[in-house]
Amino acid sequence: MSDDAILTIEALKADVAAEELGILKALDLQVCKGEVHAIMGPNGSGKSTLAKVLMGHPGYRPTSGRALFDGSDLLAMEPHDRARAGMFLAFQYPVEVPGVSIANFLRTSMQSRLKEGDDLDLFDFQDLLLDRMKLLEMEPSFAERSVNDGFSGGEKKRNEILQMAVLKPKLVLMDETDSGLDIDALKVVASGVNTLRQEDPDMAIVLITHYQRILDYITPDVVHVMVDGRIVRSGGPEVALWLEEEGYASWREAEEQAAAI
Amino acid sequence: MAEAVADRLRRAEHEFGTGDLNGLDVARLGEGEPEWLARRRLHAWKVYETTPMPTERMEEWRYTDLAQRLSIDQLDVPSIVTLRDDPDTWPQSLKRAMGDDPETSGHLVLLGGSVVYTDIQPSLASQGVVLTSLRKAVEEHPELLKEHLATQAVPPEEGKLQALNAALWTDGIFLYVPRGVRLENPVRVTRWVSRADAAYFTRTLIIAEDTSQVSYVDEVLSEDLDSHALTSTSVEVIARDSAQVQYVAVQQLGRGVFYQSAQRTLADRDSTLDTLNVSLGATTTRVDLNARLLGPGASSNMLGLYFGDGDQHFDHNTSQDHLAPATHSDLLYKGALDGTSRSVFRGIIRVAEKAQQTDAYQTNRNLLLSGDARADSLPKLEIEADDVKCSHGASVGELDEEAIFYLMSRGLSRNQAERLVVLGFLGEVLQRLPLGGVGEKVTRAIEGKLRTGAHA
Amino acid sequence: MPNNELVEVLDLDQYKYDFRTDDKPVFRTEPGLSEDVVHAISAHKEEPEWMLEFRLKAYQLYLRKPMPTWGADLSDLENVLDQIYYYVRPQDRMKNSWEDVPDNIKTTFDKLGIPEAEQKVLAGVGAQYESEMVYHSLKKEWDEQGVIFDSIEDGLKNHPDIFRKYFASVIPPADNKFAALNSAVWSGGSFVYVPPGVHLDTPLQAYFRVNQERMGQFERTLIIIDEGAQAHYIEGCTAPVYSTESFHSGVIEIVVAKNARFRYTTIQNWSNNMYNLVTQRALVNERGTMEWLDGNLGSKATMKYPSCYLVGEEAHGSILSIAYAGDGQHQDTGGKVVHAASHTTSSIVSKSISKGTGRSSYRGLCKVYEGSTSARSNVECDALLINDTARTDTYPYIEIEEQSANVGHEATVSKIGDEQLFYLMSRGMSEEEAMALIVRGFIEPIAKQLPLEYAVELNRLIEIEMEGSVG
Repeated sequence: MSDDAILTIEALKADVAAEELGILKALDLQVCKGEVHAIMGPNGSGKSTLAKVLMGHPGYRPTSGRALFDGSDLLAMEPHDRARAGMFLAFQYPVEVPGVSIANFLRTSMQSRLKEGDDLDLFDFQDLLLDRMKLLEMEPSFAERSVNDGFSGGEKKRNEILQMAVLKPKLVLMDETDSGLDIDALKVVASGVNTLRQEDPDMAIVLITHYQRILDYITPDVVHVMVDGRIVRSGGPEVALWLEEEGYASWREAEEQAAAI
Repeated sequence: MAEAVADRLRRAEHEFGTGDLNGLDVARLGEGEPEWLARRRLHAWKVYETTPMPTERMEEWRYTDLAQRLSIDQLDVPSIVTLRDDPDTWPQSLKRAMGDDPETSGHLVLLGGSVVYTDIQPSLASQGVVLTSLRKAVEEHPELLKEHLATQAVPPEEGKLQALNAALWTDGIFLYVPRGVRLENPVRVTRWVSRADAAYFTRTLIIAEDTSQVSYVDEVLSEDLDSHALTSTSVEVIARDSAQVQYVAVQQLGRGVFYQSAQRTLADRDSTLDTLNVSLGATTTRVDLNARLLGPGASSNMLGLYFGDGDQHFDHNTSQDHLAPATHSDLLYKGALDGTSRSVFRGIIRVAEKAQQTDAYQTNRNLLLSGDARADSLPKLEIEADDVKCSHGASVGELDEEAIFYLMSRGLSRNQAERLVVLGFLGEVLQRLPLGGVGEKVTRAIEGKLRTGAHA
Repeated sequence: MPNNELVEVLDLDQYKYDFRTDDKPVFRTEPGLSEDVVHAISAHKEEPEWMLEFRLKAYQLYLRKPMPTWGADLSDLENVLDQIYYYVRPQDRMKNSWEDVPDNIKTTFDKLGIPEAEQKVLAGVGAQYESEMVYHSLKKEWDEQGVIFDSIEDGLKNHPDIFRKYFASVIPPADNKFAALNSAVWSGGSFVYVPPGVHLDTPLQAYFRVNQERMGQFERTLIIIDEGAQAHYIEGCTAPVYSTESFHSGVIEIVVAKNARFRYTTIQNWSNNMYNLVTQRALVNERGTMEWLDGNLGSKATMKYPSCYLVGEEAHGSILSIAYAGDGQHQDTGGKVVHAASHTTSSIVSKSISKGTGRSSYRGLCKVYEGSTSARSNVECDALLINDTARTDTYPYIEIEEQSANVGHEATVSKIGDEQLFYLMSRGMSEEEAMALIVRGFIEPIAKQLPLEYAVELNRLIEIEMEGSVG
């Protein structure tokens, strides 16, 4: 294991909590500090399941294998402890929380990271929030809106990036952040992510996507292809380009041929 | 006990027209019936006698003064007559109504309180489908009736009028669909009543076994009567696991009639049990509909439509009882009110503590077309489970002047525009249950009312 | 140590207002109710003969009227009503300076932060202890403009003409059983008159405290906001926790004159041994506006439906209601709007939260009388369930006799969604913190209408109540 590893997954298997489906089948993955890993795969391959299992979504259940985050046993931690330890999941479908402003939401999130008895300095927080919004070229009034309530798809995704900017995670899981975005919105989101990477070169990213498109804007160090709960191939950015041309079907064929032999 | 029943039966008055409705009718009706049924009638009569007459002081009757609208004691129960099975002798309007019907799986006709005609496609009969008069079913399917008739669904204990019906019913409909049998076309029932000062008590029992499918359309008709009459029905619909059942009642009775219908639907696991009540006729309409979702995954869509003019009074009292997890119900009742007509909608969603993952919706919308019309709406919720999606809405409003103006700017007269808007408003209900011929028939009836009313 | 912190230390995370004051009332009637008790109350107040007659008639009405069979469970109430003290006089005369209020009573109100608030944000303060107003004071500038803010008893004594004109005109004793009871034994409460055109820019506040065990408090408030005037009145209520039940039944009558504007805010936080059955009604005249802001957090059982009778053209009524039902509590609350004039408008927004074995019910009426043309009314009810033993009900009555009316009612029931919780927890909040945040968001539309101090207090209370709600 590399000293620089931020996330190490070994032979991880997982199911949907209510059923025995075997969605993740002995998955291995290692992500080092500062690296960008793209995980690509067809619908139903288990990509989003991986993101949810890593963040501790109650609807998914790891059944064997292990996952280490920054040296700690990730699977034993509660979701909020994972967040406090520096994980961040950018949701595919960010959830609406009516009546709770983004500012209030982030302040509470920041406060929750402090030791008991320590109080967040509200002026410092306000400065931080304004600074982060400026960095992402957002209007300050955005923070006064209720979390995702009545947001467009693009606004929801930008809100995810803002949260990322404020909470400054060590590892970001981006779950199909590109889905449902037009090309302009995609560029805005990608440039936000790149700005944050420049600021903190150690921040690692696991970018889960169905399409190659977002990789034009966020350059991956490693591309993994995931099919049927396993990573079937890993390589450089050329893997993504190859996939774009050949499509996932050719992977299936190759698999079937291999099985036939 | 059996002795006592037999004794009462012996002493029963046989002739029709005892003058007043009384306990003797019960014995008269029970004569010749199997003992279990005669006993059930007497029990129901006892419940009737000991249940107080509903008054406006009771929450469920708050807006309908029963005593003022119906003098039950002055009506008599027609005897069971065996009319000739001869359509030539039927009233013209009844034949007209039937003439419109498209293809059916079977047809049953009631005149007054008795079934006079039944017809079922032979291929269905050979698969075990039963469509027959309730009286015949007592003889031919005693076990099913013993188990289901006025027991789980609409027992006499449900209320004063339900008890009266259970004691005095003269005939009715029995529809049985065996496991796995699916009926392509609806089963149709047409009813006709013609005598004033009479009380007609009938019952409907529908049993759809596992994975079967059936739709049932019941039309209730009469001419305008110059004095009182009561048409009382108790409707029991049972959908077994994964069955799909549609129950439709279209009420177009004449003035003078008090239409009272107590309906209960029992939906087992994964079944779909939808209902539509169309109330256009009668002077007073009182429908009590209770949908019980008994098995996980059961679903009920409950639709209702009423259109009043003159001094008509409609009182729809619905309940959605979610008693198992992952059940779904969706109610939409819409009404338009003209003249001095009045509507009451009282609906309640009850979600039991164990009925998690329930979705329940309830909507009542009313359109007032005249300054003297009135609409009262009481949509209620009682929720004891926490993992539920429930919402309800009710509204009362008048015609949208913007819409009227828009249509008029395209050349329609105000009346045409209003008719269109009213039809559009009520049409939403019919669109949700597309069932051969029903939508067209009801639309025609509404158009007819719009023509004769102030909005013609 | 400042008093407020002392209170905190006395009771940390349960009911903040559970402290008792040892004192001896100067007079109290025997437990239970009789005609003698009614006579005694009237005699102590040295009332005119007509008031005694009014009380005695109301007492007869009370005896005749049946207990309500709907709403909260009142099956034990008859026992409670036989055992409580109907009249407890804590001191000889009402005071206009805190210095003159007996020490033990003053300490109580100090602990509740009343004198402090009076200095900072209020135009006037009334404080009721047991059956009597012990303190009443109005800032000089408002006094000079003719504003009257007095105890109800002094209102009767010093302003008999206005008093008699309006008293029991909005809520007659026959209105309901508890209005009849209050009419028979009323004691304490405020008399408010705001002259034409006067705008009170800071609120008046009345604070109601029940200290002794087995107590019945029956305050009676009469408020007249004259033409074009504006005011805001705040009512707060607390009591110590006893193992026996106490009873509170107020009658609040309000007249909003032409073009006047009035807001009545209640933050009811009675201890969980209190029955709280209150009748509140406002008569709203031409182009007048009445706003009820009704917060029900405490009590064992509350039945309370603030009403607006819109009797003048273009009158407006609004009711914002928030209810919190924790373990063993039943909040049966809501509102009534009656449209009896043309172009009247109203809105009811109700939010309830039920937790543990708590039950909250919305009960409301929207009535539009024939001839009240173009009336508009909108009702929204949202209920939040925190766990699977909680219960919520919605009982709206909509009665429309007028074609041109436009009336809507919408209600939803939801629980805190697992997805919502996970989302917040994925940002580092514990489940408890996440729940509290969602609940705060839920009540936010109402909390933001409150004066700042109350909004903060409401949020704090919710947080305390949410502690231990997980698991």
